[in-house]
Amino acid sequence: MRPQPLTDEAAFAALIRRIADHSDRAAFATLFAHFAPRLKSYMRRLGAADGLAEDLAQETMLAVWRKASLFDPARAGAATWVFTIARNLRIDALRRERPTEALPPEAERPEIETAPGAEAELITAERDRTLRVALAVLPPEQAQLVQLAFYEDKPHREIERVLGIPLGTVKSRLRMAMQRLRAALEEKS
Amino acid sequence: MSISHHPSEATLLAYAAGGLDEGSSVVLAAHLGVCPDCRQAVRVCEAVGGQMLATLQGTGMATDALTRALARLDTPVPPEKVPAAAPTSLGFPLPHALSPYPLGNWRWIAPGIRHILVLPRRAGRSGLHLLRIAPGIALPGHGHAGNEFACILTGSYTDETGRYRPGDLAEMDTGDEHMPVADTGEGCICLIATDAKLRFRGLLPRLLQPVIGF
Repeated sequence: MRPQPLTDEAAFAALIRRIADHSDRAAFATLFAHFAPRLKSYMRRLGAADGLAEDLAQETMLAVWRKASLFDPARAGAATWVFTIARNLRIDALRRERPTEALPPEAERPEIETAPGAEAELITAERDRTLRVALAVLPPEQAQLVQLAFYEDKPHREIERVLGIPLGTVKSRLRMAMQRLRAALEEKS
Repeated sequence: MSISHHPSEATLLAYAAGGLDEGSSVVLAAHLGVCPDCRQAVRVCEAVGGQMLATLQGTGMATDALTRALARLDTPVPPEKVPAAAPTSLGFPLPHALSPYPLGNWRWIAPGIRHILVLPRRAGRSGLHLLRIAPGIALPGHGHAGNEFACILTGSYTDETGRYRPGDLAEMDTGDEHMPVADTGEGCICLIATDAKLRFRGLLPRLLQPVIGF
């Protein structure tokens, strides 16, 4: 893993804000250069052929442009927000029909007092950096399962079969992994 | 609403990663809609997804990819499909997650048990069901050959693992067995996603199974 400076993370959030406030095409181009190739990798790892992966990366970036005003830096960092858009587009591509907004609008309200704009961007970027460090030091057998959850798209039963790890072990390792990550975040806040 | 049964971390992670099928996602969303703790947990899982994306090695895009993207920025946004409002005729508030699905009427499947099929089970895709169990009625004891998620919408039931009240999520895996009994009082309505046939212990329930469609 190549750690990114904290300022980069906050800078991406600021670019999304520039799109929302000023329809800033240069900001979009910078985000595109950074995220589109990663989105393509993400789609390919989940089994999309090259052409479809490219299309889904394109669609995700287009959604970033259109939805920029919905980005709330207090709720999620730039990478997280882009990830959720990509995830939803991929699910849509697979299912065609799906509850796109599964949660009631009131569930989407931030539950914490939020600082506006740049300050929120820095706080969230700091949290994301903490998370990244915590991910990097997860025990390998836990890190592997977290990776699989995002990139293999296999039900846990399938993991049990492919890796030869009993389902109960899969679940307890993931529980320990998430507890570690949450503990790291709580320690920081 | 006090919630005492939650999905496993593995399930929350799968939900956040987009790895749950449609029916299971709807049941999870019904729980998340009323459980701030699990919403927060999903948010952490999504942040993990964000960090995974941020640290991925990129794959080269087509040479004209940015030009094409920029050219599309000004095309008008297609209008969002507004899902039909959830029917209220069922006599209880339906979770928001069910609103895109047209629901039929309750169908009798066994004494004290009624059922609405929301999504049929297909290969690799969970069936989604609403189940209404009259007060004091026991579902036939059954085992699970796959994953099952159930979210209680009204009333409550009790099985070997405890009492399940509105908002609680029951997660059953392959091999788990239980015999839920609707508590006396108002009975119980739950939303259930299951990706394999249930394995009933008794002969009569097994005979009824083709009728039930579970």
